[in-house]
Amino acid sequence: MGILIDRNSRIVIQGITGREASMVTRHMLAYGTPVVAGVTPGKKGEQVFGVPVYDTLKQACRAHELNTALIYVPPAFVLDAVLETLANGIKLMVIITENIPQHDAVKLLMEADNAGARVIGPNTVGVINPKERARLGAIGGDNVERCFVPGCVGVISRSGGMTAETSYMVKRAGLGVSTAIGIGGDSLIGSTPRDLLALFENDRETRAVVTFSEPGTSFEEDTAEFIMEGGFTKPLISYIAGKFTESMPEGTMFGHAGAIIEGGKGKPSNKARALREAGAHVVEQYDDIVSTLQSLRLG
Amino acid sequence: MGRLLESSSKQLLAQNAIPVPRSFVAASPLEAREKAGLLGGEVVLKALVPVGKRGKAGAIKFAGNPAMAGELAAQVLGTVVRHYPVEKILVEEKLAIERELFVSFTIDKKLRRHAVLVSSAGGIDVEEISAKYPERMKIIHIDPYKGLADFRAKEVWADLGLEGTVLRQASDILLKLYRFFVKYDCTILEINPLAITKDNKVIAAASVMAVDDSAMFRHPELADAVQVGSDRAWRPLTDLEKQVVEVNEADPYRGTARYTEMDGGDIGFMCGGGGASLMMFDALLSYGGKPANYTEFGGNPSEKKVYGLVIGILSKPGVRGLVVCGNITNNTQVDVCSRGIVAAIKDKGIDPRKFPVLVRYAGVNDAVGREVFTAAGIEYYGEEITMTMAAKKMVEKMKQTYPGAEDSQAAHGA
Repeated sequence: MGILIDRNSRIVIQGITGREASMVTRHMLAYGTPVVAGVTPGKKGEQVFGVPVYDTLKQACRAHELNTALIYVPPAFVLDAVLETLANGIKLMVIITENIPQHDAVKLLMEADNAGARVIGPNTVGVINPKERARLGAIGGDNVERCFVPGCVGVISRSGGMTAETSYMVKRAGLGVSTAIGIGGDSLIGSTPRDLLALFENDRETRAVVTFSEPGTSFEEDTAEFIMEGGFTKPLISYIAGKFTESMPEGTMFGHAGAIIEGGKGKPSNKARALREAGAHVVEQYDDIVSTLQSLRLG
Repeated sequence: MGRLLESSSKQLLAQNAIPVPRSFVAASPLEAREKAGLLGGEVVLKALVPVGKRGKAGAIKFAGNPAMAGELAAQVLGTVVRHYPVEKILVEEKLAIERELFVSFTIDKKLRRHAVLVSSAGGIDVEEISAKYPERMKIIHIDPYKGLADFRAKEVWADLGLEGTVLRQASDILLKLYRFFVKYDCTILEINPLAITKDNKVIAAASVMAVDDSAMFRHPELADAVQVGSDRAWRPLTDLEKQVVEVNEADPYRGTARYTEMDGGDIGFMCGGGGASLMMFDALLSYGGKPANYTEFGGNPSEKKVYGLVIGILSKPGVRGLVVCGNITNNTQVDVCSRGIVAAIKDKGIDPRKFPVLVRYAGVNDAVGREVFTAAGIEYYGEEITMTMAAKKMVEKMKQTYPGAEDSQAAHGA
């Protein structure tokens, strides 16, 4: 179990022949993840660590049954890659690419919504399901077990790096991860924490979820609303980074592109209050994730 | 987000057939006087700085004649408006305004649509409009594929009470502004006021515009006008910040480094990862630490880039400690970074036995990283301690090295 991906995922990597994409292909295969095909226009017939490359996604779909796309193409081509993915009926895609123009992001997210497809990212480190040994993206690097061991805790993080660190905190608590998701550092992203909590709610393997939040957006307020509505009933442990940004001039960006307080919206203190009122365990210090997890006696 | 000065955005608006007042840019009182003479009649002088609410900051003045324009220009030029020095001013014809409207295009991040807020109460800021005149405000969400239909533009203005030639002009301008917003990949395009003159002309009297940094690759024509990254600071870049920008741009294909100076502080702060840096900064503050800067790096930077970054951090006056921290890396090579950091510390003549340096950095190739730091006499930790513990240790180390420092600072403060 776990959410989004498992050993039955049939994965295609768009932009597979790029430097980073091919390294990630190697890491994914080494972990046991089923990478079935790759697409790079003009490179049909090549192979990347044994994975066949096609010119178009249509060709790849003719040759293989595919249900998950990992998008590694440069920023200018992401919108088109998403349209291609949707045109070929693939309903789950993870967009790794950073620095996508916002006007393109609006279009691709809207088209994905219209097609009933799920998008993770853009600007994400990826998704991992340790029990199923399935991973999409650089998440876990070349030493997956250091941070990601199988278990019953879901992890949702704005930050790619902190997806690993937070999963490591779960491990320090003597537990492991059901699925960990880097949702992406931009303000325009596909799946929000609320969307993913809805999936974790229905996942039998997951008994609690830890979230790593940053300033900006209304994701935490939306999450609080979702809990109040009864949409998520498992324990939620939340850490919100960037409290100091509230005392900096408004509109200044620190860290990720999405981490910006504008028009009084996106303040960590408001997020913390909303989540607390909804009954989430909001921890002050990041290390408190460990003791809070232990106090839940999930093991 | 990259802001544009009003002179640049107005030039672009004019090129796209959107009516704007006649104006010139002046860099001296003499020039302001000359330009005011060319325009004739009353003029408006506006400080050209990339910040909003200039009226409230006293950076907008009205002059009845050229001599007065020269005098007022002398008052504004050389001042500092919201941290930005005023080097140039916009000298603009003063419109005979009958009514003021408001138009602002943005991207609605939550609904994932283009959005335009229009109001028949212009000339005041949007917070005031929504507080005082909510009934005079409309928001239209726009499907980016379908665009803004002509009839919608007419409807919204008609609903707000416009009629006749003014309705037709305002609708036409709204459509043109939407096309402009899309054409230039704007993140914001605000016209406030959109003025209706006494002779029934509709004119974009003031403009605020920012372009998406990530879309600059398809707007080479805007390269000189857009101040890329202008939302990463609330003031112009300092010399050290400029120095780090150069270090970062010298090797654009490997890693990113961002450096922001804080007021005061004594701990050089270097952190791997956007989220990790937010978390670590909070942790240091929570234990009473005083970071002198905010530095974030990642994406597997080269040794040279890391070196340049650390040199920048250590060069700020008042820095007397260094904390290097990061989340457990997915792809950034700890060994490569360690060499850059150690080399910079050495070249700065720093003795880690006297000057507190603490590193918590685990991840790719960290066994080698540990050796490099340890050989240089630097206190190194991998994942055996958490980031929070590292923050606590760093603050304690500062207190041990500089006992009573806080008292003396407090004494200075008093």
